[in-house]
Amino acid sequence: MTAAPANLPRPARRPSNLLPMLGVALAALLLYWPLMLWANSGQAARSLASGADLGCTTALACATQLRNPVIPAPGQFATGFTSLSVPPLAPTSAPYNALVTGGETLLGLALASVLGLVLATLLVRSRSFERATLPWLVASQTVPIVALAPMLAVLLGQYGVQGFLPKAIIAAYIAFFPIAIGMAQGLRSPDPLQLDLMRTYRASPAQVFGLLQVPASLPYLFTSLKVAATAALVGSIVAEISTISFSGLGKMLAENSRASDTVALWVIMIYGAALGIVLVALIGGLERLVTRWRPPA
Amino acid sequence: MTQGSMQIAALPVRSGFGLPLLLLSAAGLLGLSVLLAGQAAPALAWPWLLGVVALLLVGAVGIRQSAQGESRTARILPAAATLILAVLAAEAILRAYAVPTGLIPAPSKVAQSLWAARTVLLQDAYYTFVLEALLGFVVGTLAGLGLALLAVRFRILERGVLPYAALLSSVPIVALAPVVIKAAGLGWPSKTIIVAITVLFPVVINAVRGLQSAQPMHLDLMHSYAASPAQIFREVRWPSALPFIFTALRVSSTLALINAIVAEFFGTEGHGLGFRIQIEVGRFGLDIVWAAIVVASVIGISFYLFISALERFVLRRN
Amino acid sequence: MTASRPTSDAPIVSVRDLQMIFPTPGGQTVALQDANLQIMPGEFISLIGPSGCGKTTLLRLMADLIQPTGGELLVNGGTPRKARENRAYGYVFQAPALMEWRNVLNNVKLPLDVMNTPKAERDSRAREMLKLVGLEKFERSYPWQLSGGMQQRVSIARALAFDPPLLFMDEPFGALDEITRENLNLELLRLWRETGKTVVFVTHSISEAVFLSTRVVVMTARPGKIEGIVDIGLPHPRSDDSREDPRFFEYATQIRELLKKGHS
Ligand SMILES: Nc1ncnc2c1ncn2[C@@H]1O[C@H](COP(=O)(O)OP(=O)(O)O)[C@@H](O)[C@H]1O
Ligand SMILES: [Mg+2]
Repeated sequence: MTAAPANLPRPARRPSNLLPMLGVALAALLLYWPLMLWANSGQAARSLASGADLGCTTALACATQLRNPVIPAPGQFATGFTSLSVPPLAPTSAPYNALVTGGETLLGLALASVLGLVLATLLVRSRSFERATLPWLVASQTVPIVALAPMLAVLLGQYGVQGFLPKAIIAAYIAFFPIAIGMAQGLRSPDPLQLDLMRTYRASPAQVFGLLQVPASLPYLFTSLKVAATAALVGSIVAEISTISFSGLGKMLAENSRASDTVALWVIMIYGAALGIVLVALIGGLERLVTRWRPPA
Repeated sequence: MTQGSMQIAALPVRSGFGLPLLLLSAAGLLGLSVLLAGQAAPALAWPWLLGVVALLLVGAVGIRQSAQGESRTARILPAAATLILAVLAAEAILRAYAVPTGLIPAPSKVAQSLWAARTVLLQDAYYTFVLEALLGFVVGTLAGLGLALLAVRFRILERGVLPYAALLSSVPIVALAPVVIKAAGLGWPSKTIIVAITVLFPVVINAVRGLQSAQPMHLDLMHSYAASPAQIFREVRWPSALPFIFTALRVSSTLALINAIVAEFFGTEGHGLGFRIQIEVGRFGLDIVWAAIVVASVIGISFYLFISALERFVLRRN
Repeated sequence: MTASRPTSDAPIVSVRDLQMIFPTPGGQTVALQDANLQIMPGEFISLIGPSGCGKTTLLRLMADLIQPTGGELLVNGGTPRKARENRAYGYVFQAPALMEWRNVLNNVKLPLDVMNTPKAERDSRAREMLKLVGLEKFERSYPWQLSGGMQQRVSIARALAFDPPLLFMDEPFGALDEITRENLNLELLRLWRETGKTVVFVTHSISEAVFLSTRVVVMTARPGKIEGIVDIGLPHPRSDDSREDPRFFEYATQIRELLKKGHS
């Protein structure tokens, strides 16, 4: 609806969050140091008791020197980061593998959007189809479909689908449900007056779809894309773990998990977190670009 | 939308045919499966496939006709029929092509395995749902509500913490899981922690939004009564926050189980539905995998429905 | 003006014994009964009456948005359906119903896009209409940036964009404040004079009806029917001074009496 109240002033700009955010970051940093010592000292004490030579004498001093710390010390983080990030495009480096996983996820999201649009159109067009399938689509949201990912990965492998594609397919399959439901909701969102208006113009069904329903559904598409992106990322990483993969964050996680290299796991976690944030930010940016007509939040 | 449904409604068919057609289709599919059970693998698979497709078409017409009108049956029957026909058709096709259980298990095989492995699966479900998902859900919700109250009370905290919460809610839990499991051990508590963390963010974000959603006019009204802060909270802020909080809880209820299962992929002490799925995929025990997924789905849907019912109950009372 | 306009002796809208009954869960609602009305080309007709007396229903029947359960209805010399398919009328709804994703200019262009008007014409035509409603400076704005009154003006420009001979308006100024409303009333009268269109206008307000119309159709509720028709003999062009004319009050009283009659 567009019944905007008379000439609303632009929303007043809120004070910047930067300072409080920096403050919280600082507090977290200050907490990190004692937390790290406390988390690692137990293991350090055990190592010392078993007579290992760590080049230090007290548990507290050794807490920053463990080979596989629970929480890495700053120095360990630094070396871990450099060894996993330089050179950035080597097949063993985290940035490269994050790119691979990100690519799989984006491809999956694109596939899921196309499929989602088709399904949403069917749902909106036919009531019988809606009644037959919508309950299951909704139920699928509450079901751990990602649990199917390992199996799907194996199955796709059996049928010779390999490399980049199976992960993208699995990402698509996980992203598909929220997108379809969001799009169906969006295609239905025009208000009755807008539909009546199109009718007074004798608009064809295709025109109603293209000029009214699709534009109206865009905000819904992006909302569901953001939800779907994180889920799809989980899907592609799980798929990487479950298949014989040669690249991707999932492969790195699996390898380092096996090797118990905790510093590497921490570094990969940070890359994975960043990848999730970047993907959602990308979609948010695309959303702002596509839906410029909306009032600023 | 109206166009499509109007055309269908205008078809000169009587909806009374719906149920007989559905029964015919289901019986036919069942019959095919029974016929196929007698032989090892049919020499020619495609005639069977043709039969299945024909029966499915009959079923589709039946579904379409039973979906007419606004009666209770017209709302429920199509969905139920879709599931039943899909399962029956899968059974017949998998048998006709003699697909090995290690690749795609037939629904009947899954049902058998579900029954045979029920003790193990129930125990797995206990670990995954009760100890990990449910406990993590409760802990995460309580922590989230506490954090939200602090954030609303101290504006500076809201501005400092909330942006991080929004940012961190888009972090995939698979990135988090290995580290937490390394730190907290392979036992179930590490998964509980992971679930709690993933529940925390949506609850904080929505609870803060909800606590601030109180209408200024209502707040002014309370001020005009010289109400105490506690009264204002109880009468205005909390009731207006509840719908937001329940939205977060509904979302989290599904996230909790899903994330517990995924977290288990990264290490357990040999319990849990996620563990079961992973280990059985490795040895091509896909019937057990499907059985575990069926169990997880039933639990997931039930938990979601429970939270939704709770929401309706609480919101009606308020 | 459009060539398809009928000769001025034949009514452009003809309503005979029109009846509309809605099926409702608890039985039926008679929204309109025994309605008779002839509208001549170039007239400004107001429909006035309490909520639920069938004003919107009558307008929607004329616009072929719903089909009558009885009686006869001719619009622009044919069935309402034919009138709609010939794009013989523009409809202004109670709410602006703008497309949020189109800016003001593109909202006015919407009917031209739907009707495949030659591309070159669309912009100039839409700009002309925006000038008519005094919004040419806002063509790049989006709906949320406009006040309610401005939005409603956009929707009027949109209804006029394809130059239909008929204009149906359903309480277009109902949600606006008195001052904006009177301004828009003046603008609407000017538009009507300049374009010579036939207007069917729904309102709640007696003074609005008297000020705008050549004839006021008074309707009453339960079941919806036409209680009487009042000819407004105020001279044109009208201005704020017309409101001071003694006849203005006479007409208003007449209408009020008719409304009361239906109420008892
Ligand atoms: N689609 C409909 N279904 C059922 N009843 C309706 C419908 N549209 C209108 N009505 C009923 O018809 C009567 C007239 O409605 P309406 O024409 O909207 O009144 P008005 O515009 O004069 O306020 C009301 O009693 C209303 O409830
Ligand atoms: Mg009305």
